[in-house]
Amino acid sequence: MSQHTKEVFYGLYNDEEDLLHAIEEANAQHLEIMDVYTPFPVHGLDKVMHLEESRLHIAGFVFGALGTMTAFGFMTWVFTRDWPIIFGGKPYWSVPAFIPITFELTVLFAAIGMVVSFYTVCGLGPGVSNPILDERITDDKFCIAFETDKADLDALKAFFSKTGAGEVHTKTI
Amino acid sequence: MSGDHTFSMTGRERNVLFGFMGLGLLCIVLTFFGDDAVHSRFWSNYLINAVFFTGVSFVALFILAAFTTAYTGWYIVVKRIWEGYAQFLIVGIILMLVLIIGLWGHFHHLYHWADEEAVAADPVLLGKSGFLNKYWYTFGTLIILGTWYFAFARPMRKLSLREDVEGHDANYSLYRKYKWFSAVFLPIGAFTSAAMIWQWVMSVDAHWYSTMFAWYTTASWFVACMAITIMLVLYLKGRGALPFVTTEHLHDLGKYLFAFSIFWTYLWFSQYMLIWYANVGEETTYFHTRINEYPVLFYGNLVLNFVVPFFVLMRNDTKRKAGTLFFVALVVLLGRFLDFFQMVKPGVLHTTHEALAHSGEAAATEAGHHASHFTAGFTIPGLLEIGTFFGFLALFIFFVFKQLEKAPLLPKNDPYLAESLHHHVQ
Repeated sequence: MSQHTKEVFYGLYNDEEDLLHAIEEANAQHLEIMDVYTPFPVHGLDKVMHLEESRLHIAGFVFGALGTMTAFGFMTWVFTRDWPIIFGGKPYWSVPAFIPITFELTVLFAAIGMVVSFYTVCGLGPGVSNPILDERITDDKFCIAFETDKADLDALKAFFSKTGAGEVHTKTI
Repeated sequence: MSGDHTFSMTGRERNVLFGFMGLGLLCIVLTFFGDDAVHSRFWSNYLINAVFFTGVSFVALFILAAFTTAYTGWYIVVKRIWEGYAQFLIVGIILMLVLIIGLWGHFHHLYHWADEEAVAADPVLLGKSGFLNKYWYTFGTLIILGTWYFAFARPMRKLSLREDVEGHDANYSLYRKYKWFSAVFLPIGAFTSAAMIWQWVMSVDAHWYSTMFAWYTTASWFVACMAITIMLVLYLKGRGALPFVTTEHLHDLGKYLFAFSIFWTYLWFSQYMLIWYANVGEETTYFHTRINEYPVLFYGNLVLNFVVPFFVLMRNDTKRKAGTLFFVALVVLLGRFLDFFQMVKPGVLHTTHEALAHSGEAAATEAGHHASHFTAGFTIPGLLEIGTFFGFLALFIFFVFKQLEKAPLLPKNDPYLAESLHHHVQ
């Protein structure tokens, strides 16, 4: 299943403040971080890691707009062309009556579209192997990981001891 | 934080505010003397502004109570501003007192149900007369507004100021007491405000009623309160008075403006769609009048209060830019005024028409004509309405500045202060 295995050198921190300071230090030393793992979203992490703003919400808007047009267009077609029926003496094309369903489909399309986009972009889904460095990063540890072949191991060790990582490990994933 | 962050109004601010109050007064006087026989334009303008700013101060108190009960932390840096708004309820009592006096003296014809002859001949109004009567209006307003101010807004403000001076004991008893007041106020405020909205605003269309109306008006007040807050915070920040309010806090205020604009639209639509669907003549007349005779108000209301905030504030970064946020808040504030304008004016025009027809003066007066064309002051706000609104707004801001002068802008002993100072939304 795993087409490329790589050796990862990672350190675990006990506190998110230490993690943020460590990332700043890594930036200052021009160390190339592979990824950072945290048990919960840490404020300011995107900024120090220089991550771009997610484009997921643009996808959300596009899917939502698609839902709006699908619902409104379909109801318009049904009630004016395909099967016009008078309900309660209202005109065939009764916009107020279409609004709730249009709203529902907008939300549905946006929600499902964003989930599918997210899973696709992140390469997640059923049957995908998803190696985990250390189970404690889903609990109470904050992790910075480096690829060993891209950096000098001694520099990384010095970096981890300087920034106060509680544990340092190597693992092949 | 260093320094005490005290606030004092500059001479220039005082002059500008007094200038606008003078302008407002001038507009009110001009309206009064250029009016029809029963001064319907003057009184309806007065009603709109009195209810608008009383409502904004009520909502500020409600926000403080809701946030305190929900253990909210981020808002502490703007807490003093909302406390200042809530104190305006005392002015609200005085403003509403003028309407009560007008009701007893028959100085105004805002409410059809106040006309005893009309009620006696009208089974619908007769059926409602147990609630829509002078006594309920008078004592309801005074007791309920009095409760809001004397039993909640004032003691809560006092507790908050005491906390600043005395600090906390081990038990946080001042904070606990404040929370007790908050929790008690929430149900009381929620139910009594609905009764007041029925009396003050909805009964302008005395035959009509809608169960959504109280929610709808409260949502309108809420958005107005947020719009004024955003503009005031941006102004005070620009002046250097609120260095601890960051983009993060403005982002949250912007979210409230965005979210509650949508909430208002949801209520607007719910009210509209139920009435449209059921198609009961007594109910549809409300929208029929507004769509056909007040199209600018009807559609303009949705554009200013839904389309603009929804599409502009949808993006993350527009809530974090002072310029955009200020622009949207200004548009929405004017939109909120337009919303109250369209709630009150058509009903008042109708009642005036009947009152004048009764006394045989209908043909001679402008308001007597049913609006088939645009009439400033009735089908669209005229310059006098805008001037009056800015006059009341200046009075409100002046009063709030006076309150801000009484205490440091940063509640330094609030238990949630540290959380608020370190607030980050992304």
